[in-house]
Amino acid sequence: MVIKYTGKTLLWVFLLITAAVTLFPIVIVVSGSFMTNLELTSGAHILPDVWQFSNYVTAWTKANFSRFTWNSLFVSVMTTIGTLLVSSMAAYAVDRAKFPGKGIYTGLMASTLFISIGAVVLRPQFDLMVVLGLQKSLWGVILILISAHAATYFIMIGFLRNIPRELDEAAWIDGCHPASVFWRIILPLLRPALAVAGLGVFQNSWNEYILPLVFTLSNPDLQTLPVGLSNLRYGFGAASESQLMLTGACISILPLLVVYVFANKSFMQVTLGAVKG
Amino acid sequence: MNKRTAYLFIFPSVFLTLVLGVYPLLWALRYMFYNYQGYGDPIFVGFGNFARLLRDAEFWQSVVNTGIYAAGKLIVTIPLSLILAFILNRKLRGRTVLRAIYYLPTVFSASVMSIVFFIIFNSYNGVLNQFLLKFHIIGAPISWLGPDYAMLTTIMIAIWGAVGNYMLLFLAGLQGIPEDLYEAASLDGASEVRKLWSITIPLLGPVMQMIIMLAITISLKGYESIMVLTEGGPYGKTEVMYLYLFKLLFPVSPEAPVQQQLGYGSAVGFVTAIIVGIVTILYFYLSRKLNKMY
Repeated sequence: MVIKYTGKTLLWVFLLITAAVTLFPIVIVVSGSFMTNLELTSGAHILPDVWQFSNYVTAWTKANFSRFTWNSLFVSVMTTIGTLLVSSMAAYAVDRAKFPGKGIYTGLMASTLFISIGAVVLRPQFDLMVVLGLQKSLWGVILILISAHAATYFIMIGFLRNIPRELDEAAWIDGCHPASVFWRIILPLLRPALAVAGLGVFQNSWNEYILPLVFTLSNPDLQTLPVGLSNLRYGFGAASESQLMLTGACISILPLLVVYVFANKSFMQVTLGAVKG
Repeated sequence: MNKRTAYLFIFPSVFLTLVLGVYPLLWALRYMFYNYQGYGDPIFVGFGNFARLLRDAEFWQSVVNTGIYAAGKLIVTIPLSLILAFILNRKLRGRTVLRAIYYLPTVFSASVMSIVFFIIFNSYNGVLNQFLLKFHIIGAPISWLGPDYAMLTTIMIAIWGAVGNYMLLFLAGLQGIPEDLYEAASLDGASEVRKLWSITIPLLGPVMQMIIMLAITISLKGYESIMVLTEGGPYGKTEVMYLYLFKLLFPVSPEAPVQQQLGYGSAVGFVTAIIVGIVTILYFYLSRKLNKMY
């Protein structure tokens, strides 16, 4: 009996310490974003003495975080829509039609998941955007993010396989154009997959750092939250004080944190779905 | 659906993949044989970049650092996430909440969290040192981002960000083991340890092999959080190979004012990808051999 209880206590001590260590940095972001610089750098407090809501006003107006937030939102929304559309269209064709080159296409998609030469690709990608005249807008970043849609494609095709072919074949026989079959029948049926994959794409593009960093080096007005925030390290601008860095960090993690509290199961499905593909 | 419509439907995907995925690869495969600084005419140097790479002590140091970083990260992450998965796979009060807590770090941007860790681990007035001093755990501030501890700190941060992810993957693997096997074993009077040894571990084996392979490649490729936190410093102590590569191509940070080297960078990118590939394949064969022995 005694052994059983000690075992259980030890188990819970282990679980709770791990949970505390996991949560500590996140608690610090949220509470530190309301502290004064002095309190954060010497107070050793978990919660602020006086909640400094003015930090958010400063970050939002003086440190350009309204701009960064808008840019992040724009990139993430456009990338999510584009990725879902491109990958579900391709998955629809590959699963429902026979055509030469199908195997090559699947191989191509699979290989883009595995081959990575790191940052090298960014330079030719940037040169291409210069040719297209897109290097001075965020569309270049969005197109490159959409081009990495292989993982989403595999989630979509996995899901499509379980949608009975009879549904769309009946519509073809009735004389419905494939495009409208896709739009009216396939997309609505894919809704659960679109939701999960879309959440994953949104999360990834919201969190993306290296790509927008390279593309907005000479254009601070196009920077996204992670890029603008990391630049604060060098003490540029009005927000070089540490508490404002945390305010910025909090602004950038808050949307995901809020969604996570309500839908953490969907986030977990994203991970599992992406790996399964 | 006829062929033409099918091609129309995959066209956007093929176009984007070829132009923004395949073309950059071919570009790098060409320029790794050139001396190219980003302007002017590229000069063909044959295998010159690879000869230079063999003598590039800084690159090989970054390969060693990557090994230390990945090994340090995995040695803690894999067992810890496996243990958490074992515990949370059993009926336990509050396990949904715990699972959500452990998984939380994977939701956020590595670069944003690195800014936060920068404030936490700061040697001079960092949050962690403040607490350790307050509770008299240490007598003097520890220089977490100094030459002695920087690697350890980046490894700890990587572990923080990774455990939840692998816990979830292991949990999915555990849930794939049929429940009736355990019930049958219980009827035969098998102990918990025996069930773990004779059912869970052998059946989890193949899944575990894939998860560890994934973990190895991811840990070899990661450099975002290091880039934000230490930029590879101090004195190159935390410079991993993909970060070294990034700096050759985009010498953006004020601490690395060097010439952009696209030709040499392409060669380094190629060799780096080969190194990751070799390690992955090596692991794959070794683990298969081990599986057979078992």
